[in-house]
Amino acid sequence: MAKMTRRWGMVIDLDKCTGCGACNIACSQENNLPIFKDDSDVPKRVTFLDLVEVTNDKDPKAQYPDVKVAYLPKMCQQCSGNDPNHPQPPCVSVCPVVATDVGEDGVVSQIWSRCIGCRYCQVACPYEARVFHWWKPRYEGTFKKSLNPDVSVASRGTMVKCTFCSHIWKRERDRAIANGVTDINAVTYTPACASACPTNAIIFGDLNDPSSPVYEAAVQKNPRAVRLVHSIDELRTKDPSEYEKRLKIKDYPNPKVYYLTSQQWLRDKISGFKNS
Amino acid sequence: MSKVINFLKDEWNSYSRNIQISLYVLFALVALFVIFGIQILFWGLGYTDMNNRFAMGLWIIGDLGFVALGGGAFFTGFLLYIFRVDKLQSLINSTVLIGFMCYLFTFILLVFDIGQPLRAWFGYAYPNWGPHTMPQSMLTEVVWCLTFYFIVLCIELFPIILSNKYLDRYPAIHYFAHYLHKLMWIFAAIGTFLSFFHQGSLGGGMWGVLYAKPYWFRHHYFYLAIVAAIAGGPCLMMLVPKIASWVAKKELVPKDAYMTLAKVAGVTFIAYFLFRIYDIYSLWTHFAPLFDRSFIDMMGGYYGWWVITLELLASLTAIVILNVKKFRENDQYFMAGLISGVFAIVMLKVDVLLHGFSIPNFSWEGFFTYNPTFQEWSIFLGSIACMILIYMWFTRYIPLFPEKHAEAH
Repeated sequence: MAKMTRRWGMVIDLDKCTGCGACNIACSQENNLPIFKDDSDVPKRVTFLDLVEVTNDKDPKAQYPDVKVAYLPKMCQQCSGNDPNHPQPPCVSVCPVVATDVGEDGVVSQIWSRCIGCRYCQVACPYEARVFHWWKPRYEGTFKKSLNPDVSVASRGTMVKCTFCSHIWKRERDRAIANGVTDINAVTYTPACASACPTNAIIFGDLNDPSSPVYEAAVQKNPRAVRLVHSIDELRTKDPSEYEKRLKIKDYPNPKVYYLTSQQWLRDKISGFKNS
Repeated sequence: MSKVINFLKDEWNSYSRNIQISLYVLFALVALFVIFGIQILFWGLGYTDMNNRFAMGLWIIGDLGFVALGGGAFFTGFLLYIFRVDKLQSLINSTVLIGFMCYLFTFILLVFDIGQPLRAWFGYAYPNWGPHTMPQSMLTEVVWCLTFYFIVLCIELFPIILSNKYLDRYPAIHYFAHYLHKLMWIFAAIGTFLSFFHQGSLGGGMWGVLYAKPYWFRHHYFYLAIVAAIAGGPCLMMLVPKIASWVAKKELVPKDAYMTLAKVAGVTFIAYFLFRIYDIYSLWTHFAPLFDRSFIDMMGGYYGWWVITLELLASLTAIVILNVKKFRENDQYFMAGLISGVFAIVMLKVDVLLHGFSIPNFSWEGFFTYNPTFQEWSIFLGSIACMILIYMWFTRYIPLFPEKHAEAH
């Protein structure tokens, strides 16, 4: 079997995003996420992909009519740590029971049935991407009949997260093997959120593949690209020596999700606290 | 049966009116602990105010506080059995019991706090050791080290229980307890070794390794937690017998023992205070800028400045009272010093947890708040009530204070 060379990543064009929420619904349906009677209790809501409203209304300079709003689909950013060849996402090493791990393709996985629900990984995650089943998951009426058999239903008291729909990759891999294709790197797939996006704002692919629209080396050069709370990216070009120095002091999340936007205020808000 | 009822009636009537009222309150809290404990275990953590943003709350603050303050047991044992500070002999039984209860209730609160208590054994069956000999996850280290140290505390407590006058009548039990007691220095040494690790990992390392979190990530946090436990732990170990003496209206521990331990605690509190000032300074000038965050901005919100100010003021009060002989030897000041010492360490944990979680991760978010629900308060206060009842029971039936016991003989 060939070694896995794919490194899955995502590019989300916020200028194309209309905030319709189709990605959120597709994700919830694909991953068997429960719907509670009161899902207005946002901090306890179980959702892998949160559609976050970002606004500059607290900025004293941005008075009406200059107040701006954008929608940001936020899921697990599939962090790598400083060295993508030896990925160290902040949430993986902290798990006391090895319920979460990072695969050769860079996807951070979670085994629901191994999780003891200590929530230490949730504490470690800087992106608020991990969610906990505070209540017993319930599936009202006929909803239970439409559950996805490829995704196990999590119990109450366990941590769950976005896995870039890696079960779809496994399904595609099995199909490829059935068709006689044994090269693991020949298998490609699209997660539910990217499939559902009506404006093609969410693009998924291999960050290592030069022919992919998400080829990382090209995306990093894109002036519209910004990563979530990752202001150190600025230093890579502005002050390379400081950048290298910081990488020696500590790990940075180094997420595999890039956001694109031409709006400076939004880039400032997303990149962190430095310019916002 | 009637004998038992009569015995219980006599016992109850032997207490003063004030103690009886206190017992009513404690039993009520224990009842709430049981009722809401069942609710949380069977229906889940949805009944708490914790959420996906504020993932840990009152019970973990309690755990961190219990372990840091219970750490006084390892330090007092270390001084007595390894450094041979014999004056502490009269404090050691009480100290072991307090340490035992602190660790026991840390486990109990953890059982409520984890989402899948029936899977708690996974921590032993599937530990995250990582590629090297040291555990990869700080929580793995905490689980194993707490377990081992709790076993040590059980062994240390065993001869104390066996010295009950009814059990002590049997020669076999008497000699077993006697020789177990003689071997106690070995367990004190093992306990010290283990305690250094988990004090560091639970109190500091667990937070210091979170490299993506600006208020927690610090290389030295592990060591700060150890010093905090050494400074604050002995304060609780003195405060509890002091309160017991006040309730019993007689001195249960000789003043010498208090003064000896108080001097050590006073000096370690100076070390802790200086270390904490360095800690805040390094966070301000080095660690927060690594995240492109400003320390001043992070200290906003509901639990920022006032928590850290109270913590530092309490530390200073403890330093002054425990180190100045005139204050230390005055009973009221001494109590104030001990309370300040315990309070300072509790506030350190409040700062780590409550303020740490309230800080926003994204620039468009505000600070978060957390108000523990009635269930959380009931389980937390019920745990403390259980600990008080166990201590009262031990004071009555087990020779917890050898000097007082010898006088009675």
